[in-house]
Amino acid sequence: MKNIITIMSKEFTRFFTDKRMVLMTILPAVLIYVVYTFMGTMMARVVLPDEYATRVFAVNAPASITQVLQAADIRIENIGANETPEAKERLINKEADLLMIFPADFDALVEVYDLQTAAGPAPNIEMYFLSTEPNSATAYHQITAILDLYETSLVNKFDINRDNTNADLATAEDVAASIISMIMPMLLFIFLFSGCMGLALESITGEKERGTLATLLVSPLKRSELAIGKILSLAVLSFLSGLVTAIATILALPNLMGGGTDGMVDVNIYSITDYILLALIILTVLLVMVAMVSIVSAFAKTLKEAGQATMPLMIVVMLVGVSGMFGGGVPTEPFYYMIPLYGSVQSMSGIFSLEYSTVNIIVACISNLVFACIGGYILTKMFNSEKVMFSK
Amino acid sequence: MNVILKADGLTKTFSLSAKQQKLQNTKKKVITAADHVSFEAYNGEIFGLLGPNGAGKTTTLRMLATIIKADEGDAVVDGSSIKSEPDTVRSKIGFLTSELKLEDFFTPNYLFDFFSKIHHIDPVTSQERKRKLFEKFGIDKFAEVKVANLSTGMKQKTSLVVSIVHDPNIIIFDEPTNGLDVITAKVVTDFLLELKEQGKTIILSTHIFSLVEKLCDRAGIIIDGKMVACDTLANLTAEKPLEDIFFDLYSENAGGAE
Repeated sequence: MKNIITIMSKEFTRFFTDKRMVLMTILPAVLIYVVYTFMGTMMARVVLPDEYATRVFAVNAPASITQVLQAADIRIENIGANETPEAKERLINKEADLLMIFPADFDALVEVYDLQTAAGPAPNIEMYFLSTEPNSATAYHQITAILDLYETSLVNKFDINRDNTNADLATAEDVAASIISMIMPMLLFIFLFSGCMGLALESITGEKERGTLATLLVSPLKRSELAIGKILSLAVLSFLSGLVTAIATILALPNLMGGGTDGMVDVNIYSITDYILLALIILTVLLVMVAMVSIVSAFAKTLKEAGQATMPLMIVVMLVGVSGMFGGGVPTEPFYYMIPLYGSVQSMSGIFSLEYSTVNIIVACISNLVFACIGGYILTKMFNSEKVMFSK
Repeated sequence: MNVILKADGLTKTFSLSAKQQKLQNTKKKVITAADHVSFEAYNGEIFGLLGPNGAGKTTTLRMLATIIKADEGDAVVDGSSIKSEPDTVRSKIGFLTSELKLEDFFTPNYLFDFFSKIHHIDPVTSQERKRKLFEKFGIDKFAEVKVANLSTGMKQKTSLVVSIVHDPNIIIFDEPTNGLDVITAKVVTDFLLELKEQGKTIILSTHIFSLVEKLCDRAGIIIDGKMVACDTLANLTAEKPLEDIFFDLYSENAGGAE
């Protein structure tokens, strides 16, 4: 036990006194925050373009349409029919965004056109735009949408939810929970795994490659103590690295959702119990992940080889992580929670969506501990094997 | 004198890859690195294993240090078998070889404390030992420099000191002066003699005749994995100098492997 603590304290000293290692752990978190915020801002910009005055030319623009567009802050410049070639030229030269050509008596034609008989073609508006020019394309889509709405309003027979703004009965909590439960388990899983991958590769294959593990193996240290000490300290360090990344993600999520401060994703919906169960799941699944990566790292002869060998593991972890996003809710049978990794993802989904049974979470934790012990046993065997440790 | 270390028929084979078999033009699937090596070392002496590169010296020492397991045979180190009690053997010996590296990131000071803790040395004793050893080897001048920034000689000194944090009775050194300049080499050999005076037993391997002549009370000559001679240095060199004895033995025995 004393030796395990000595090993752990060495691993912690190694990590925390190395500015580069600490930085490498914090950097992904910062990047996630920046990237998510950036993505959120960009998406918001696509929906709400800047204060840009759209330049629209129109031939024979009827008063009705001019009024409708004016209501949407779009001003039309009326031109004569003979000026259309020139207007098109300006469109191509990006001096204008849109050209609309109406029939001379558009309002009257619309008036007489009978939907029931549909005799003859409906009145037609010609619209010219430049799809490669964002402002022009946006103007085209915006005005088409406005005209469609106007068309609908002409034959209005009934409305849906005219004055009822509270039609969605889901509470803000539910919305937040469903969004978080979709994304967070997968993200957390990947963050935790990549965190422990970096650390375990360095701590096991790195030490093996540099010959420093051999020095430990010559000491009276028991192999099991070394294996347990390594797994525990790596799990704690990965937990911290996962925590930093998770906090960055939670902070960035409202920005990503484009909501900014409208509180669409409020993470204050979880109780202390939820957080404790989540921490238990994370800590125990980390033991499994660390044990898995450690075993692969111990087999590998060089860091490069270890990096390649852990890629398939990473893919498995990502696939399992994604399984939390689909499949219509979490399973309820405890059996599923015994499956390593999968059970933990489902537990996380359950906790995040506030639909879980504590029994299943505990089943998942115990299963994780059992698998971590098996992993520790295998790692001990490997530390004992001269083929694994010393063959070049 | 008491026998403190007794190796009895230590044998170690390594398997050859198909490519390597072709390379050596042999059908043998295994190569015998150590072939029934037996010897005894007495309490308080320096025992030398002399042999050319690849003779099996390091393999033998690694078996004694329980880093690798013997295929056949056993050795009793200060009353503990390397087969059944490897953990106890490791606590009784100090083992130094160039394969064992110290972590670049840490300082000699930290590493000494770390290995003292691994050996369960009480802090007072370990601090006192550290002060003495650091002073003797001049490590006190670079005690807080990371291993990565030390010179080869400094690293070797640090490794040496770290390997004996627990003041072991038996010290096993694989090529103790390899890669060291003459001054550092002398510091190390003087220290080995000093350890002997303290009553420690030292097993070392080398291919340098002068080192054996200068340090060893007894020596074993290993050629192609076999111990071909093992006696006191006085008996070995009774008729001819050690170098001549060695080459005679080599021409008699080395042919067998071809």
